[in-house]
Amino acid sequence: MSQTVVLGVIGSDAHVVGITILEQAFSAAGFDVINLGVQTSQEEFAEAAVAHDAEAVLVSSLYGHAEQDCQGFHDVLDAEGVDALTYIGGNLAVGQDDFEQTRETFEDLGFDRVFNSETDPEEAIAALRQDLQITTTEAERATISS
Amino acid sequence: MIRDERIPADELRRIDDEIRSNWPTGDAVDFDEAIDYHESLPAHKQFADVLENADKPLLQPRAGVPRLDDQIELLEYLHESGQADLLPTTIDSYTRDNEYGKAQEGLEKARETGEDTLNGFPAVNHGVEDCRNLIEAIDAPIEVRHGTPDARLLAAITFAGGFQSFEGGPISYNIPYTKRHGLEETIEKWQFVDRLAGAYTERGVRINREPFGPLTGTLVPPSIAIAIMIVEGQLAATQGVRSITLGYGQVGNVVQDVAALNALQKLGDEYLPDEVVVTTVFHEWMGGFPPDEARANGVISLGGMTAAIAQPDKVITKSPQEFQGVPTKEANASGLRTTRQVIDMAIEQEIDIDGIAEEQDLIERETRCLMDTIFEHGDGDVVQGTIKAFDSGALDVPFAPSDSARGAVLPARDDDGRVRIFEWADLAMDDDIKEIHKARLSRRADTEGRDQSFRMVADDVDAISDGKLIGRPQNAGDV
Repeated sequence: MSQTVVLGVIGSDAHVVGITILEQAFSAAGFDVINLGVQTSQEEFAEAAVAHDAEAVLVSSLYGHAEQDCQGFHDVLDAEGVDALTYIGGNLAVGQDDFEQTRETFEDLGFDRVFNSETDPEEAIAALRQDLQITTTEAERATISS
Repeated sequence: MIRDERIPADELRRIDDEIRSNWPTGDAVDFDEAIDYHESLPAHKQFADVLENADKPLLQPRAGVPRLDDQIELLEYLHESGQADLLPTTIDSYTRDNEYGKAQEGLEKARETGEDTLNGFPAVNHGVEDCRNLIEAIDAPIEVRHGTPDARLLAAITFAGGFQSFEGGPISYNIPYTKRHGLEETIEKWQFVDRLAGAYTERGVRINREPFGPLTGTLVPPSIAIAIMIVEGQLAATQGVRSITLGYGQVGNVVQDVAALNALQKLGDEYLPDEVVVTTVFHEWMGGFPPDEARANGVISLGGMTAAIAQPDKVITKSPQEFQGVPTKEANASGLRTTRQVIDMAIEQEIDIDGIAEEQDLIERETRCLMDTIFEHGDGDVVQGTIKAFDSGALDVPFAPSDSARGAVLPARDDDGRVRIFEWADLAMDDDIKEIHKARLSRRADTEGRDQSFRMVADDVDAISDGKLIGRPQNAGDV
């Protein structure tokens, strides 16, 4: 059974390359991917998660304003009745901030996992499989490591 | 239904009156007086003539700061210390979004604090007179560079302000820059910009127009870029533009880049009407740069070498501080000087490289497939054809953030570092061409001992900033 993830770049950020790669990676790993594209609002994430009964909401941000863009995001998700894992990744803070501090900031905002911009797609896929308790078949494992 | 037809004169006047009332500085535009002003400018500030008559590639940087005095100082520095032949004025992001009120706040704050509170020069807010103060202060032609989907007011003010070159176009300033502007909407708005440039041209003031060739700046296959350049050139020509500079962004493989620039000039001459003078501009690498200045200079130098061989009419240079964003003026000038040094050393050498003719032939065949599908989609009308071909996916741009393009095509480098198409989606292309790409990518997969997959695309996106051209696995054959 395939599981659905909703993917998008939050706020007024127009960086598209990363989510294009993630869309390919999650699709290849057997997930149904709903890619909302760039410049996606909190409400659009919530609506898509409800409409597609998503298991996970994956938020990308590269332009340094993620903290502002994600204020109240989990309240919006709760209000829409979204029950999904939430991940965020990218360049999440402007400047030379310590990543552990950034991780804490976004965990406090309600995200289940926080990734920096150096993360390989495989790492996020492995994390999601673990969180959703999906066992990988041999065939899929071969695809992922190739 | 919008078509590729010239806007009638009365309609041009009606739109012009309407858009000039959007901001108080629009009042100062007087077309007849502006023609007199352009005629009063000396020959060495006539953009189209300087560009078209140059005997070697002219160099132009990117640069824009909010205050007039600072912009003059910056351009003077780039002209003198950087030996730039042509100068830019890069417009700020608020103006690109038609947010003139916010640009005004930023400009006033910049004047109070002396800080650069905008990321460019808000030409609409400065108005006609201050644009002319800039044109008069600088002893070289200056182009307006921006990224504005609706650039009608910006064009009205900067043309009247004495600028004679204007970057952008309805596809190239839409697809890579914005999510929600429809293509039909941007084509309509750019028909006005081109028609206004055409109105100046009719009166003897040739405004140069330059479609933005690099598009998304990320591994764009040459034929896709060239097809879009030809379409934008045709749209501009219909509205009366007679000086058109088609653009192309460096992909980093010298053979492919030289072949693409040759094809761009050849197909531009072939597809655009005879009365149009077609020139070309080469953009040094637009993707991610290495994070140290020495290696960045290497990337810039390879661009200079490519330009020396292909000899485009103009080169847009990068700075060694590209990685960190807006460069200091010193770094900006150094990118110009590095490029100039390499071009001047290499340009008189006779450098023959095998494979350029073959690659150029492939690029031309691919471009013709795309142009054919556009004409077919529009039943002969290039406007309808472009809208419908993007809609069907027969025309597409990789990594396009816009809802107007599928963004489903994915590029990857082949074993020689040339950009090929890995995922075709619905792009209109002959099967034998697809087979050539497939075979080239298959050779790379063999070399690396891995399957063709999106991993190659991801690795290629980061490769140049990581110090290589091709995104090979760390331990090839052992992955």
